[in-house]
Amino acid sequence: MPNNASLHTARAFLSQNLPYGDEEEPSVLVLHPQWTHVDPFALSIIAAWGGWCVRNGKKILVENLGKHADYAARMKLFQYLAVDYSPPVKEHEEAGRFLPLTQVQTYPQLTQVIGNISALLHLNTEPDALAAVQYCVSELIRNVLEHSGSPEGAFVCTHRYVGKGPKRVTIAVSDCGQGIASHLAHNFPEAMTDDRIALGLAMRPGITGAVKGMYGTPENAGAGLFITRSIAKGTGGYFLLMSGDAVYRLRRSNTPDEQISLFFEAYDEPNYNLWALPSIWLGTTVAVEIRTDKIEDFQGFFQWIRKQMPARKTISKRINFT
Amino acid sequence: MKKTIELKPGIVGFAEDKDQARIIRLNTILPALERGENIVIDFRHVKYATQSFIHALLGETLYKYGEDLLDRVEFKNCTPQLQSVIELVVDYSLGGFPTESEVVKQ
Repeated sequence: MPNNASLHTARAFLSQNLPYGDEEEPSVLVLHPQWTHVDPFALSIIAAWGGWCVRNGKKILVENLGKHADYAARMKLFQYLAVDYSPPVKEHEEAGRFLPLTQVQTYPQLTQVIGNISALLHLNTEPDALAAVQYCVSELIRNVLEHSGSPEGAFVCTHRYVGKGPKRVTIAVSDCGQGIASHLAHNFPEAMTDDRIALGLAMRPGITGAVKGMYGTPENAGAGLFITRSIAKGTGGYFLLMSGDAVYRLRRSNTPDEQISLFFEAYDEPNYNLWALPSIWLGTTVAVEIRTDKIEDFQGFFQWIRKQMPARKTISKRINFT
Repeated sequence: MKKTIELKPGIVGFAEDKDQARIIRLNTILPALERGENIVIDFRHVKYATQSFIHALLGETLYKYGEDLLDRVEFKNCTPQLQSVIELVVDYSLGGFPTESEVVKQ
């Protein structure tokens, strides 16, 4: 773990790690010996990895454990690594509010997480921001529960940053399930040839691993990742998707004009990074940054996305809202 | 004849339970439409919903009945946020998704 493990420094953090290593060797989490900035993106990855280690009977050793790890402990990271470390009680995180790492394996647990978000992030006075956060958390966790096949389910955490820098909420959801390529392979065999292709397909609306079809299936349209990416883009925040050996990261928008331009194909965005990991990630991680200082109205996102869709063949009939 | 369905609020007025949507679609909406009845879906307890929820509620009926469904379904007490999600699901269900990027500005 470097001294900064955030969406901004994701590449450095990920390139230093070989999460599944040698079967005979113990699993080791090496914390930076001094103060570390770690955001939900890194925490959810480490927690999901911890779940995988526990599943496979691998004990985790943590090096450099100490006071500088108190934030990670308050986020309940060590609980999911089966490592005994308890920091002093501190009721409020001065830099903002957070939903600590939470393992979600069932739909009732998901409902509970969504219910906790408002109180824990103190977003009740910002209803549009709250709706955007609840929306992303719901869609991302449902993806894991429905499609990942992860025995441990999803590991989610969020942090609302209200101090220095942009006012924002970062959300991350990780699993060590089958990964995107394997999920899509039945309908889109090309996904298995390259994880970069698999990520591109997953971010395109209308693509689902369930049953191929223009409208998706009765339960899945395959639009969840597209809409969460659009919410991040529409507030000018980061969006990151990782699976297999590929990582896609949409960076923060540099200009208002860039922020409001939506691209159907993730690889047509002008402001993204795509890179290969030194070792594969067994599952999927999605991280979304919602810039709460830039969100205007939640309904506007859907009207914006609608403009991207082809017009109906006929528009003789209107939706009857009363 | 009209069949009225009053949706439950979900947690804090946020409807995201696709299983609930699926049950309503299979047990109430589709049978009523097959009997020739019209439908009123009352959202008075719901403020927001995910696209996945609305898709699970309506996607199959739009596929089955096409645009004519819009003559038979009334969406009651929708917030502006809900209206925009319903419009999105109706549009892609009847028009499909785009096949290539076209820049759209807010």
